Parts: sequence; C-alpha cells; structure tokens
Amino acid sequence: MKIYFELNGEPVYTEIKPGEMLLDLLRRLGMKSVKEGCRTGECGACTVLLDGKPIRSCLTFAAKAKGHRITTLEGLGTPEDPHPLQEAFAEAGAVQCGFCTPGMILVAYHLLSHNPDPSPDEVRAAISGNLCRCTGYVKIVDAVLTAARWKREGKWRKER
Amino acid sequence: MAERKVIGKPVRKVDGIPLATGQPVFTLDVDLPGAAVGKVLRSPHAHAEIVRIDTSRAEELPGVLCVLHHGNVPRIPYTTAGQGWPEPSPYDSFLFDRKVRFVGDRVAAVAAESEEIADEALRLIEVEYRVLPAVLDPEGATAPGAPVIHDEEDARGIHDPQRNIAAAIDIRVGEIERGFSESDVVVETTCEFPYVQHVPLEPHCVIAYLDEEDRLVIRTSTQVPFHVRRIVARALGLPLSRIRVIKPRIGGGFGTKQEIILEDVAAALALRTRRPVVMKYTREEEFVAARTRHPMKVRVKLGAKKDGKLHAIEMDVLSNTGAYGTHSLTVLSNVGSKTLPLYNKAPHIWFHGKAVYTNLPVAGAYRGYGATQGYFALEVAIDELAEKLGIDPLELRLKNHIRAGETSPIFEKIGEGREGKAQVIRSCALEECIREGAKRIGWSEKRGKRLRDGPWVHGVGMAIAMQGSGITDIDMGAATIMMNEDGTFRLLVGATDLGTGSDTILAQIAAETLGVPVEAISVYSSDTDFTPFDTGAYASSTTYVSGNAVLLAARKVREEILRVASGVLGEPPGELELRDGRVVSTRTGKGIPLAEVGHRAMYVTDQRHIIASASFVPPESPPPFAAFFAEVAVDVETGRVRVVKFVGVADCGTPIHPRLAEGQLEGAIVQGIGHALYEEMLLSKRGGVRNPNLFDYRIPTAADVPDIEVVLIPSEEPTGPYGAKSIAEVGINGPAPAIANAIYDAVGVRLYRIPFTPDRVLSGINLVRPF
Amino acid sequence: MAIKRYHYARDVEEALSLLLAYEGRGALVAGGVDVARGLPGEIEGLIDITAAGLSGISREGGRLVVGATATLEGIRTSREVKAYMGGFLSEVMGHVATLSLRNMATLGGAVVSAHPWADIPTALIALGAEAVWRNEERTERAPVEELYARPFRAIFRRAVLTEIRFPAWDGAFAFEKLSRNAGDIALINCACGLGLDAEGKIAWARVAVGATPYRAARLAAVEELLAGEVPSEALWEEAGHRAAVEARVGDDMRASAEWRRAVIPVIVRRALERTAREVKGDA
Repeated sequence: MKIYFELNGEPVYTEIKPGEMLLDLLRRLGMKSVKEGCRTGECGACTVLLDGKPIRSCLTFAAKAKGHRITTLEGLGTPEDPHPLQEAFAEAGAVQCGFCTPGMILVAYHLLSHNPDPSPDEVRAAISGNLCRCTGYVKIVDAVLTAARWKREGKWRKER
Repeated sequence: MAERKVIGKPVRKVDGIPLATGQPVFTLDVDLPGAAVGKVLRSPHAHAEIVRIDTSRAEELPGVLCVLHHGNVPRIPYTTAGQGWPEPSPYDSFLFDRKVRFVGDRVAAVAAESEEIADEALRLIEVEYRVLPAVLDPEGATAPGAPVIHDEEDARGIHDPQRNIAAAIDIRVGEIERGFSESDVVVETTCEFPYVQHVPLEPHCVIAYLDEEDRLVIRTSTQVPFHVRRIVARALGLPLSRIRVIKPRIGGGFGTKQEIILEDVAAALALRTRRPVVMKYTREEEFVAARTRHPMKVRVKLGAKKDGKLHAIEMDVLSNTGAYGTHSLTVLSNVGSKTLPLYNKAPHIWFHGKAVYTNLPVAGAYRGYGATQGYFALEVAIDELAEKLGIDPLELRLKNHIRAGETSPIFEKIGEGREGKAQVIRSCALEECIREGAKRIGWSEKRGKRLRDGPWVHGVGMAIAMQGSGITDIDMGAATIMMNEDGTFRLLVGATDLGTGSDTILAQIAAETLGVPVEAISVYSSDTDFTPFDTGAYASSTTYVSGNAVLLAARKVREEILRVASGVLGEPPGELELRDGRVVSTRTGKGIPLAEVGHRAMYVTDQRHIIASASFVPPESPPPFAAFFAEVAVDVETGRVRVVKFVGVADCGTPIHPRLAEGQLEGAIVQGIGHALYEEMLLSKRGGVRNPNLFDYRIPTAADVPDIEVVLIPSEEPTGPYGAKSIAEVGINGPAPAIANAIYDAVGVRLYRIPFTPDRVLSGINLVRPF
Repeated sequence: MAIKRYHYARDVEEALSLLLAYEGRGALVAGGVDVARGLPGEIEGLIDITAAGLSGISREGGRLVVGATATLEGIRTSREVKAYMGGFLSEVMGHVATLSLRNMATLGGAVVSAHPWADIPTALIALGAEAVWRNEERTERAPVEELYARPFRAIFRRAVLTEIRFPAWDGAFAFEKLSRNAGDIALINCACGLGLDAEGKIAWARVAVGATPYRAARLAAVEELLAGEVPSEALWEEAGHRAAVEARVGDDMRASAEWRRAVIPVIVRRALERTAREVKGDA
C-alpha cells in the first residue's frame, strides 16, 4: 500500500507493507539515526516525533504515519549546521557511544518546545523513557540545561 | 612541567557532532546490495545431544540460500573469548556442535533473502534431541555423579572436565591458619552476585561479505577486531591474511563485545553463500545468548589485630561460567588480583576458588571483570570487621590501604591466567580520594545518625577499589602517525573506541606531543587492514597502553620533523621544539610552520613520507584508585531503597580528557547502582531466562539516578602517557558494597546478595508479619 | 504476524463491520502498543480506529466521559480530566509507563488488554467506571469491574469499545503504586476513595488493590469496615490490615506474595490518609 506523509519537512509518497513498523520504514528511507534497541518500546532508541510528540517507532505501524508529520534527528540539524541541542550534547560530553543520542535529543527538543526553563528533575523525568547505559545521564542533563539556557538567551537561530 | 595545551582540556570529542547529528556510522547503518539475512536456530534444552538434524525442508524453501549445522562445517575447537594469544580460556566452543549446553545454544544457522524467509526456514529445521540431565546450579556442578557438560574429546584447556571445573586457582602467601590464629578479631562473610547483563543499547550485529579480492570482510560491533580476525580464521580454517575486520561506531560494549558472538557464523554463511550476510541479535537473544557477568559466591574471611591492622585475608570463590569457559580463568583470577593488593599489608593471604560449568547462560567479560564481585564481598567484610573492632570503617581503610612506593605479594603471584609480575605502586592518591569523598557525602555528619524523613531512614556507606591499566607484559597496542603535507597528521590505531572517547584521547596525546591543536590530528581506528595491532578495548588498557604507543610514535615523528626543520632553519635538532603548529628554535625564536616541513619532505628535498610507528607492551599495570560514598534512604515500611547521593572520587593519574573520564566514572557508577538495586537475570527450572527483555529486567533510567558527584584527584603516574592511568572499569566496583554498607547504617540490616530488592530489604527489617 | 491489509476506519460502524468480516482474523488498532508487542499469528488485517471519532474527552455534569482512543498522555493533560475528582485520573496516568508510550497508548487499549499488572484497571474499578461498547446488535454498557468478571476478551473480539464513563463522586480518591524503578510496572498498587457525610463520618468508601500480581479487585470487606466510621489513623491501620487479609496475592518474577501481603497495609493506609486529607480540603 502507498502512504503520503511529511518527513523532516519534506513530502514522502512511498510503498509500505501493511504490517511494517515505522522504525523499519524510516531506516529504509535512509533515516539511519532511528535505532533498533529492543523492538518492544522499552529502550527509547527508536523514538521519533509524530506531529511533534515523541513516540516509539518500533511499536508504531508505518501505516499510522499517513497524513502526519514525522521528525527524526536528521531533521534537526546536520554536521555543517547542527541544531543547538546537538551542539550542546557534543560539548557537554553527553555523547559516549551515541546510540541513545537520537531519541534522547528528540525528547529533549520536545521538552524545551513547551518548557523553556526546566529544572534538572524535570529534565530527568522527561528523558526517563530513554535508556542510556554509557553516561549515567549526568552530562545528558547538563547538555539539555545548557541548550535551554541558550534558547532563553535567544541563541537558537532559525529552526527547521 | 611545561604547561599542557591539549592534555587535560575538554576538547570536542572527534565523533561528537557526527553522533549528535545522527550520521549513519554504526554497523547496520550501511545497506549492502544483495545482502542476505542470517539467523540462528537455538536450543530449547539446557543440555542435550543432537541425535538427528534434518535441514532439507528448510533448504528447499524458496529464498533460503544455505543452512549450516554441525554436519557441514569444519569441527575446530576454539574459544570465543576476545583475548590475546594464547587465550587463557578453554578451547571448548565449536562453530556448531553435536551437543547443546544451554537454553539458547546454537543449533544451526540459515542465510535467506529476507528476515521472514529466514524465520520460516528456522521453523522448518527438524531436530531430534536426546535430552540430558542438566546442571542448573554451580554447587551441583562438582557433585559426584553430576552430568559432564564438556565431555568432548577435542576440547582443550579445561582444568578438570570430568568435574565440570573450567578453571581453578590457589594462591598462598604466608600461612593462613597461623594468620587467623594470631588475629585478635576475625570476621567471615559470603556475598553473592547473580546473573546480570551488560545491556548495551546496541545489540550485537555484524555484516560479513567478500570483497573484490575475494577477501572476507567482517564489519562488526566489537571491542576486539584483531582477536576477531584471528579467532574467525581459526574457527573457519581460513588464512588470517584473507580476513579484514572493521569496527565502525558501536553502541556500547562493557565487555559483551570482547567476544566472538556472531562473527564466526556470519563469516561462515558469507563464505558459503558468497553473498553479504547481515546478522543481528534481538534484545531477547542479547539476554539469552550473548554474555553475562560471572555469577559468584565470594567468601571473605578477615583477621586483624585490635589496632585495626589487617593480618590475614582469605578469599574463596565459586564462579559460575555457564555453558562455556570463556574468560573463566581470568575473571576468576581478577577477583583476587585486583582486590587483594588494595590491602597489601596483611602478611597471610589465601586466595582460592574455581569456575564451574553449568548448563546456563554463558558468562564472559563484564566491566570490572571479577573485581566487581570481589569488592562486593571484601568491602562488606571490611565494614563488618570495623564494627567488630569498634573502629570507623573509614579509618580502618585509611589504616590498611596500599600507598605509593608500596607493593603487594599478589602482584607477582597472580597474572592473567599465568604467573604475575612484581610491581611497585608509583602513583596513588587514594587517601585524598577517601577524605574528599567523605567530606562531600557528609560522612561524620550523617553516619550513625539514621536521619528520618517520614518512613525514609537515611544512612551512609563507603567502599574503595582499584583496578588496573592494561595487562602487564601481555597487552600490546601500536600506533602509526603519518604527516600530511599541510602539517596535519593522520593517526592510525588499532585501539577500539566503543563510545569511551579513545579516538579523542589518543588524538590529544599525539597533538600534545606534536605541538598542534587536536583538530590537526585525524584518527582512523580499528581496521585490521589499515591500522596497526591493538589487543582491544578491555582491561582498562586503551589510555595507558595504546596511549603510550601513540606517545612513542609521536616522539619518533617529532624527531623526523625536527631533522627536516633543522635543514631549513640551519639549527641542530636539539635546539628546536614543536609549538603551536610550528617548529621553533629555543635559542633564536626563529621558526617555520609545520606545513612547510611537511611540504618540503613530501615534494622538495630528500623526499620521504614522515611517518612512524611504535608498539607498547606495559611492563606494569598502574592501578587507578577510587573511593565511593553512598547516601541511601530506606523506606522501612516497604523495603524500597533510594540512593539519595553518590560520590565517586578517583585517581586516574592525569585525566587526559577530564569530561570523558568523569563520563566513564558516572556511567560505571550508574551501572553499578543498577546491579545493586534492580538487575538480576532470573532463571527458570529448565535453565531458561525468564526475563530476557527490558520490560522485566530493569536498568536505571534518568529519573532513578541520584545526585552524583564525581571528582578526579590527579596523581602523576610516571609510566603513563602524560602521567595518565586508565579509568574505564573501576567505577563499577563501588556501588554494590557502598550501598550495602549504607543500608546497614540506615536500618541495621546486612544484605549479602544483590539486588537489594524491597523484598529482601523488608525481610531483613523483619517487618514481615505472617497472616 | 503476516498482515495483509491495513484499514483506516472512518467511523465505528465501519470498524465494526470490518472486524466482523474478518471473523477472528482481524484486530482493532488504537495506539497499537499491545498489538505491535505481540498478536496471535492468525491476524491478517488491522483496523485503525484512531480517526473514527472516539478520542473525545468531555464532562456531563459531574461525570467524565473519555473516548476509547484518547491517548493516556492526552487524558493526563486534559483540562476536563484535571477538573474531575481533583485530577485523580491525571495523577494515575502519570504513573503509567513513560511519555512516549503514553502518547501512543489509549484508554480503550488499556481496558481491553486489561493487564493484571496495570495501573489503569485498578483506578477504573475503584472509580466505578463504566465501559460502553458497540457490537453487532446494539450498544452495551457495564461497569468495568463487572466486565472483567465476564469473558471480556471474547466480547471485544466482536465489538468496538467506544467510551469509558466515570461517575461523579462526592469525595476524593488517591492512588499508590510501588515499583522497582521509574517507568516500571507496579509491584503492587491500590486506589482508594472516600466521601464524608455531614457529621464527618465516612459515607462511602472504595478500596481496590491490584497488581497483586492479579488484576485489581475491590475489597468489599474493607469498604464495609470503613463505612459509617469516623476517620482516624487507627481506622486506616485497621483497614490496611484487613485489606492484606482480603486481597488475593501471589508470587511473580517481581515480588513475593509474602512481601505483597506485608506492604498492602502500608499502601492502603497511605492512600486512605491522602484521600482523607483531600476530602477535608487540606491536601
């Protein structure tokens, strides 16, 4: 079956299998930042934004994307022009192996879109659905707080 | 000491932006045309013979490319342990065997056009098993009449196969019985570590294919690319030169990727089908058929004089190595070799134990590598000893721990599966670590106070630990540095960055030595065709061992540069130095940019490529030290334990990159908290794993993490690159004992078995009233 | 799962006729969490009902009506839900899973899957929530508590759950959950509600304990013990101990029956204390 949806701001019209999961569709479309960590919705490595809200792409049928906006990490920034959140993560030492990073940054992005001045506890609660085994979360929280401060200081340039 | 420009500075991690922008740099992020999917058929039985295996129906299924099993592959014994040759682990594994030894063991493998077809093919393989009685607990393994798990004739290196003993150790110093009889106070305690899992976010995965020269290329999520090459060559009977192993970015390892898990099968399927083969573990397979920590019972007996001086230490270990003996001897050895030297003054020591086979999940390397289990028992015993002596446990540790300039008889008694080597500690800031940590946790303000907050009672506890920096006389790391004509450099290292940031740290060492910013060094690592050898990322070796190799190579390149520059500047090389991207005369101040040197050497005069390699084998393994302090709150009505604050203070010599070093400590501490509070693989009566998923096996989330403070206390390790020691493992040794000791301070309950579930804590608190 | 077709139902009628046409080989998909996590192999068709008009949340006087495909996060943050019973349902939703999963999972999905370890059934049973569903013949309704005493899975194989209706109570509710770490399911949970009469005596009490590891049940004996009494610490203690006797508990991977029996008095007491404080207005 064919579906139409918006991927990182670009229209996509593509063939999918009826039982296919969004995780596999997105990776097939080249969005390799979307990771498979458990396939049961527990680890968060597959997290993407659907209409701006974080969901587990491993448990979402690809067919559900029809008519909606999907955002993956690729949609936030590139190596040449990284999003401030991505900069903050790289600066703070919040990226060790990097496998949890895409889901983590998208959830942080969502948090900051409605809570511009979160407390450390609020940050921790927001990212509690994204597992990280490398960092112990300490520098991830630092990175999100730094990015939030930059946003409040008006240092986030035009967003995608 | 000259001011350091790059070492100790928080430079941007070389892969930070690529990873933060989601670049496709992991193993499975490439799509190879014509790739087939490989899958493994796994045993439902803990112990069985494969009487008959019929793969004809599977082979006939359209889209199935081949099916492998014991009948159609070479039978060559090897070990899956990613260790240097000769691997100190039994050669008790086969590509496919006629026997299965744990629920999940490999029976057959399929390559097919798609995952659906591969799954269907697995269902069509007919296997007739003769189920054998199984050994499901380590005590039972050596009981008379227990089933023999490795009865095959061609396995090698098993300590006592008839009694299911994979490895054993017996180390004596002084006379232990005399030691205890001379002691004023004796305590004895047994602590238990269950099956716990690494849970890397990225499960094991591999792509194996034949390149244009018909060489086998293995792109794999591994910590040990060179060992993969050697062991796959052996397992498949291939010449080593025909294999190339590449490690891309990997999503965590913690020891489970210091192992040949999928590479051998994927390679075999790729050779047989001549198609690229992609294989990956599901999360369930990651739990069942990857590796785990060695579950252990560690009995510690301590004897001390009434002034608190330790006089006798006995450590007795029963380690469960699971169905195969990978890492069994070395993890067992490390239980003692990485713990006992910490308390080096006791003249009487007896360290003994065995690693036994069971028909249970296979244990392997896991961060800490035996020291973690050892420290849980030792540090709880030290606290018990302190109580019996009436001494503050902090004072007891200060009185007894090893210091710079001292040695321990254990260093020469225990090596890595062989004799050890004497060593003197050259750098140790442990006392400062202890005092700093005590201050930050509020040791004297909180200890013994049992501060109350509703049903929550607070307590504080501590532990100390050391680890190592590489494996003496065994680990080898090498580095090559090539100068580009524009004055920048290419650093080639076999060393394996698994997210630890080693690429960055090694670039910093090179940059500091060559007088350039770290951006002038581009790193390529872990490709057996193009990078020099490195044993891999384990034993906390990369910073110290690979770092020293980089330092030596950089010095050679520096000499070459100075020689060329000497020709331009007309000054002897001895008067020149590298500074800020230039060669400068210390006498006149005249200088030229490195680009000019590079260009000249490449094109202009006496042309040669400025390039140098160096190898390094550590003649000693200087330990990092750490002190851990935990404040817990125990809900006395429900038994729930919350870690309120955790302080980790470590001496890793010079932290090459403080933020990355802190990150290692923080991550290891949180992993240790997971061990202490929630993590346990539960086994069924048939030997299967009951909770092979993240729904049931819980690891810490961000909302569970306490207020964590980590501090690095520098010491100058003379043998380390710029004074550095390693730090990757030591952090995981602290939480279990520190939390156990804190729980005791809070509610007077001693827990000897992790995890400290509400069930266990409440039982201990004795609030359970039968209804 | 070899799915052959994915349908987008435009309304309940379409969803129902598709479901019936598949004769057991079709499944309704709301959030899809439970469906994606594991569906029987014979399912061939998926019927997505998220655009079938079932996601509304509204108040009818004191009652709350929540559409079956309202997401748990949508419920948690809804103004109407926050205004109902002091935001009790919102509080419960906050205990469930994690944000990303709550953005997908729906109330209907929670009711139909009825996992014994779940938090939502405990709250629904305590609240006396009523399920409404459409089958081939008619629209039916029943209290969720009663529904679970029937073969409800068979009912929902041939019906579309459309909404959950929450009655108005004059009083307050509180929810307690013990789990190993953030995001984990309950080791045990309970939902308690109290209302006081003009003399300050307990006019009504609702006590449900769940994840024992069995699905939540109301403990009638505890409710009777509380009715007509004057609130006090001793009363909550007594109620808690009675609950431990009455509740059906067992062992599972996460906790032992013995521990559950030991902590039921604690969580019931804590829930009743909080409820009482809220009813008196000093929560």
